[in-house]
Amino acid sequence: MTAPVVELKNVSKYFAKVIANKNVSFCAHEGEVVALLGENGAGKSTIMKILYGLYSADEGTILIRGQETVIHSPKDAMAHGIAMVQQHFSLVPTHTVTENIILGSARGRISLKDYDAKIRALAESYGFDIPVESRVGELAVGIQQKVEILKALYLNTKILILDEPTAVLTPQESENLMEFIKKYAAQGNTVIFITHKLKEVMEVADQIVVMRDGAVAGDLKCAETDEHALARLMMGQDLTPEAKPEDREFSDESTLLELKNITVRQKNAPPLLEDVSFRLHAGEIFGIAGVSGNGQDEVCEVICGSRRITEGELLYCGRSIAGDTIRQRIDAGIGYVPVDRYRDGLIMDMTLAENMMLKSSFSRRWVSRGLISQKVLGDYTSDIIREYQVKATGPEEIARSLSGGNQQKMVLAREIDVGQKMIVFNQPTRGLDMGAVDRIHKSMLEERRKGKGVLLISTELSEIFELSDRIAIMYKGRIMGIYRSGELSTEQIGLLMAGYTGKEAG
Amino acid sequence: MKRGHLDVIAFNVGAVVIGLIISACMLLFMKINPAEVYSVAFLKIVTDKYTLGEVLVKSTPLIFTALAFAFTFKANLFNIGAQGQFYAGSLAAISLSLALGKVLPGWLLILLVLLATFAAGGLVGGLIGLAKAKCHANEFLVSMMSTYVVSALMDYLLRTALRETKGEYLQTDPISSNAYLPVILPGTRVHLGFAIAVASAIAVWVLLYKTELGFRIRAVGCNANAAELAGIRSRKIFVIAFLISGGLAGMAGLTEVNGVQHMLLQDFNSSIGSFGIGIAILANGNPIGVIFASLLFGFMNVMGTTMGRLPGLNIPSSIIDFIEGIVMICVIISYFLRHRYNNSQEKKKLKKEGAAA
Repeated sequence: MTAPVVELKNVSKYFAKVIANKNVSFCAHEGEVVALLGENGAGKSTIMKILYGLYSADEGTILIRGQETVIHSPKDAMAHGIAMVQQHFSLVPTHTVTENIILGSARGRISLKDYDAKIRALAESYGFDIPVESRVGELAVGIQQKVEILKALYLNTKILILDEPTAVLTPQESENLMEFIKKYAAQGNTVIFITHKLKEVMEVADQIVVMRDGAVAGDLKCAETDEHALARLMMGQDLTPEAKPEDREFSDESTLLELKNITVRQKNAPPLLEDVSFRLHAGEIFGIAGVSGNGQDEVCEVICGSRRITEGELLYCGRSIAGDTIRQRIDAGIGYVPVDRYRDGLIMDMTLAENMMLKSSFSRRWVSRGLISQKVLGDYTSDIIREYQVKATGPEEIARSLSGGNQQKMVLAREIDVGQKMIVFNQPTRGLDMGAVDRIHKSMLEERRKGKGVLLISTELSEIFELSDRIAIMYKGRIMGIYRSGELSTEQIGLLMAGYTGKEAG
Repeated sequence: MKRGHLDVIAFNVGAVVIGLIISACMLLFMKINPAEVYSVAFLKIVTDKYTLGEVLVKSTPLIFTALAFAFTFKANLFNIGAQGQFYAGSLAAISLSLALGKVLPGWLLILLVLLATFAAGGLVGGLIGLAKAKCHANEFLVSMMSTYVVSALMDYLLRTALRETKGEYLQTDPISSNAYLPVILPGTRVHLGFAIAVASAIAVWVLLYKTELGFRIRAVGCNANAAELAGIRSRKIFVIAFLISGGLAGMAGLTEVNGVQHMLLQDFNSSIGSFGIGIAILANGNPIGVIFASLLFGFMNVMGTTMGRLPGLNIPSSIIDFIEGIVMICVIISYFLRHRYNNSQEKKKLKKEGAAA
């Protein structure tokens, strides 16, 4: 075999408070797809950011085509033919596709027309259908990702790093991406592919590097392993499968929340929600499937009170709550686990204890003699940390220093407490490792058992299928249909998510 | 004492020393022996009770203006207009003291003036908060410009309604002595205002860190989105935070009018607003830290004045401002260096643990 294109030797990286990578070594060859598999916080992104020059390694060496190389910046990396597509895109939304792609490489007078043609040709050569003259902000996420990839290809990249590329894509889009990766590698390029999804790894990778706690836990050939072995390596343990929900009936009396023909209009743009109707019953998990950005967030916002409805009725326990404030709805027992815990769920610079009282700062439960009782709040938070097995030093730890999964557990615990009657979960497991996902699923089932209504919004079909009693599919702000669990196949739901009607999906 | 606190003190002391060394070079250019000047001035402060008391007197209004900035800072707002709010408080203090000075007993009058200065500063601050909440006005600009408005109003009143009976200078009549803040350290000018300032700083700390309102203010400051979703109305918080902030700055009016000047005059303490901003940043927005940071700058100020008065040297007052500025810059730089130092310490510790494992 020829010398590896990239070789990492005992690379370590320390952040102020954590060891991010410890003695990481692996190689990638020409024409190979290497999957970097691991839970969140396992150090996958960090090691790739070192390779891409965003971070510098504290120890160890990097060899590019057999040469020891020090990469100081992404510019250095690009000079070596390395490009990275970040999990969060680095595009200028108000610029066109072409402008984004040539940004940083075009010099002097720029003839956009020529570049447009050039980029269009490049896109076509890889089978990408991209409107090069459109502004990036107006494009779907899947297309934006293609723009990011195209940006890398434009620079004659030989080593392409993709960080969790499928997290934002529809099943169909993911498939296209996989096709592209195979084709691109077959041309003699190298792809390093960061993910925590076993299925993708088995489908596309040649070599699989499993990471756990910042170190390499296994380096295997795809052909010589299977999902079970990989899961064990990732987790260090087997997952217990969850019980399938049985077929259950709900009476009208048990209706907890009812949306009646809810429409949310905006100026000079298509409505965000159109004629959305469904009921959530006590003791039910109601799943909403759909590609992200099809109105699911708006449904959550309408229910929790941060968005006004233009038309329709919102009934909770038989009473209209459309005019109620967010605080009134919290007091009425509606919990909400938002999709973006950084922006909406937690206050990262505050302690865990302070985050636990965030939603109940108006209740008097933490107060004694006019002041916040550090003891009451601290004891409560310690109990939560124990009960949910949160990896934290204690109630006084700053939320930011926890890993994503542990942060999400804190949000979950708070919202389960706030949501005495019902809880809205908006993609509660997005980007989390399997251990945390498992814990969150168990909590949802537990709350259902207690008779709460659970609204689950997710883009992960397996999650929707596993947990929901009934499933609605959303597309462009409309409900495409409501089905019982088990009534639909993955393929049918995929078609509904892509905008086909129930009849066409057959 | 925690190790972290020791680091903070070490870095701040280091910064002050370096600032003084840089200033010493400046003095050398003027053919003045800095070691001699410093030591004489320093000795004068620590040995002379009156001069030492001046440190507390000078730091009193700085505590208030620094608290004003720190308070809105916690809500991620910038109140640049402490100077104007201080003037509003001063106007309230002088008006009440002149009108009721001979009518009410001293303690009642001072209590009234205290409330009035808070209300006057709070009114100016609250209006800024309201402009931010209702019209999405940029509070930085509005608060900055508000200082000019209030100071123009003060000038106008000093020329008209409040002008001294002699009509000679742009100043008011002196207030009657029962409206004076009582001196609490005999033999100095240290007045009750210093105690009020320290008590206010502690009260602000309790408010911010021990009450639900303070929690909500900090929540909005750290993450307004999450706070909104938790039912906290950030616009309401804007108004409340600015109102309290303005009130704190206004209270400096009480201490300066009733405690020090006993009258109001044009260009009254015209730089305490801007110094308050620097002090609040130096204290990292911590209300207790504000007390110590203000004392440091009170000390610098008195040291400068003392140096200026040293016989036969003729040190110009601009040099004193220069020293204060240099020290402030050094302290602010040290704040960033300290963070880097802490990070590298943590990293070293980890490397050791990693090697052992």
